[in-house]
Amino acid sequence: MSSSLEAIATLPWVEKYRPKSLDEIIDQEEVVNSLKNILKTKAVPHMLFAGPPGVGKTATAHAFARDLFGDRYIDDGHFMEINASDERGIQTIREKVKMFARQIPMGGLGFKILLLDESDQLTDDAQHAFRRVMEQYSATCRFILAANYSNRIIEPIQSRCAVFRFRPLLKKDVIKHLRNIAEKEGLEIDDQALEVIYDFSEGDMRKAINTLQASASISRKIDEKTVYQVMGYVSRGEVRKILELALSGKFKEMRDEVRKLLYVQGIMPSDLISAIYRELFYLNLPEEDKLDLLDLLGEVDYRITEGGTPEVQLMAFLARVAAKGKGSK
Amino acid sequence: MTELWVEKYRPKRVSEVVGNKDSVKAFVEWMRSWELGKPSKKAVLLYGPAGVGKTSLVLAYAREHGYDVVEVNASDWRNEERMKMVVGESSLQATLDGTTKKIILVDEVDGIAGREDAGGLSALRKIIDETRTPIALVANNPWDPRLASIRDRCLMLQFRRLRKSEVVKRLKEIASMEGIKVTDAALKKLAERSEGDLRSAINDLQAIASGRKVVDVDAVEALGERNRVREIFQALRIIFNTKSLRAARAALEGLEIDLDMVYAWLIENVPEQIPDPGELAEAYEALARADLFLAKASREQKWKLTRYAIPLMTGGVALARKTKPQGFVKFTFPSKIRLMQRSRAERELRSSIASKIAGKLHLSSSKAITHMLPYISFIMSRGDEYAKAMAEYFEFTPSEVKYLAGKGEVEVAEVAVKKRGRGRRTRRR
Repeated sequence: MSSSLEAIATLPWVEKYRPKSLDEIIDQEEVVNSLKNILKTKAVPHMLFAGPPGVGKTATAHAFARDLFGDRYIDDGHFMEINASDERGIQTIREKVKMFARQIPMGGLGFKILLLDESDQLTDDAQHAFRRVMEQYSATCRFILAANYSNRIIEPIQSRCAVFRFRPLLKKDVIKHLRNIAEKEGLEIDDQALEVIYDFSEGDMRKAINTLQASASISRKIDEKTVYQVMGYVSRGEVRKILELALSGKFKEMRDEVRKLLYVQGIMPSDLISAIYRELFYLNLPEEDKLDLLDLLGEVDYRITEGGTPEVQLMAFLARVAAKGKGSK
Repeated sequence: MTELWVEKYRPKRVSEVVGNKDSVKAFVEWMRSWELGKPSKKAVLLYGPAGVGKTSLVLAYAREHGYDVVEVNASDWRNEERMKMVVGESSLQATLDGTTKKIILVDEVDGIAGREDAGGLSALRKIIDETRTPIALVANNPWDPRLASIRDRCLMLQFRRLRKSEVVKRLKEIASMEGIKVTDAALKKLAERSEGDLRSAINDLQAIASGRKVVDVDAVEALGERNRVREIFQALRIIFNTKSLRAARAALEGLEIDLDMVYAWLIENVPEQIPDPGELAEAYEALARADLFLAKASREQKWKLTRYAIPLMTGGVALARKTKPQGFVKFTFPSKIRLMQRSRAERELRSSIASKIAGKLHLSSSKAITHMLPYISFIMSRGDEYAKAMAEYFEFTPSEVKYLAGKGEVEVAEVAVKKRGRGRRTRRR
């Protein structure tokens, strides 16, 4: 195999092509401009980055810190990242923050930055406790909270933060970026394939780059078919199966499948819902029924963001699918 | 399908009814008074705890003496009109056409009171006054003030918990008819556990006898937590059979089991108990809404909200269920617990893989699984240089590589060594 192949495989591209500075952030002009102003004054507030997945929240936080502290922003201890959904206990977070904020490194700005990623995963209780942590350490530590849903961040935290809203990426910019990567990796990719990747990614850059890289593992020359091969593997055929089981009234089997995905495989409910959303339009049902189901799916989606138990909420939806399925036969 | 023993061995004649001899005798005399055309009271109210033979007595008498039983579950009636239609018609007609003798059996009388069955009680009162057909009412607790005027019109017959010896005797008969050996000690144990509820004792016996030739004390003990399970069964039986919101809600009163466990049982059993897809969807929707209240209650410590969750999860299911499955469908243990046990090895492997990916890529483990794992798995499945480099980058172990490449089986032994011990995060509750 050629050496370029090795280069391709060295890193996951989402890592390799992560923006290094604010100038490399794609779209999000408003956010970037504000952050650049902050860079000038070096008066860094607590910040909340809110927006859908894969639009650059974490990347922006890193890029900002690098621009602020230099390339060794992590190694020299200016910046740390904690993932809220992995560190559920507020106690762990407090300990980590304490350890981190205790010392201010030489040559710094007198404060450090801590990125709390997926902060909307914290329970309300944990958020209230975290708000105290923010106050206690704000002299030596500034916080960046990243979240998909800003409405799940409690008001007292929001009011202490400058809130930055990240927008979905523009199609042309996603495609441009993909084309860039392809060029650097020495791939041949046609427009059609890029379109397919974009549609599949739904504006999530991480997903788009992953799809590109997986496609590249099949062939250096990427066309539509290559991408479909990846999509076929990656895009939860299980979801189609679940819907078919529901429509044919095999309720228990379907429930077992749902549970396997949620509990054994650990698939995120939001991902399942998105997959169901995509399949919904192709179900063999009257259009009116599909519209009803779409409405209910939205309701279920909302309920899960409100703290509903995913399995139960999904089953309520799928039971409705089953009922419709029976009606149509 | 196995027949439910409590049905199979329901008494067919009055003499087979176990225990409560005085009340049984009084009931027979009351029926005689009807047959002689001079009923002492128009209606009888049989009251007492569950499973002691109240309904069985009425059914046995009817069967023995050639009556048709017009059975009405009290909570089936919503209002006066419906009640008059069901009971009123037959109460007047029965003796007029003279060909068939009828007994009207009204179950769960204590479930009628209240707004939901507006007029139901007064209608029942009127019907008792006018009836030309014997009316037997059944209740667990007849002392609700709203039932006072009904009580006045009824011959009140109390049914008590059965004696241990009575339960043992009946169990023994059933065992011999089923051709199973049950040791005396086991019979005693079963009777003790039943606390005078013959129905539950028979259910218990049937449950342990399945798959066994000999039932001994150990087998009974092996049921272990069955007391709790029985409590749940009891609650589920009510929930799945009542049509009254109050009765459904009350099913959870005094239950020693926490709400989440009851919820798990409901979720598990709803599909089998509700065969009609439309009704099932209704039931699930009620459960899903209850879930929201429960989630909010625990998330924000607003425990008051459980008062909305409980009627939704019990009554919502009860009201949704209009069609029953054919034959008897057993309640089953929440299978999620077993799924979690069975899948432990795979989950640990995935969690180890996830945290490796997460560590390298600034992601949470759950996002690593959703957003990265499928792609990495795709690349790994190709098994080439590419895959190797990827494995090296993430420092996957051979068993992890194998799992990712094949999406295949988990090698338990290897996983056990690598145990990273990060249990799955469970959602609150």
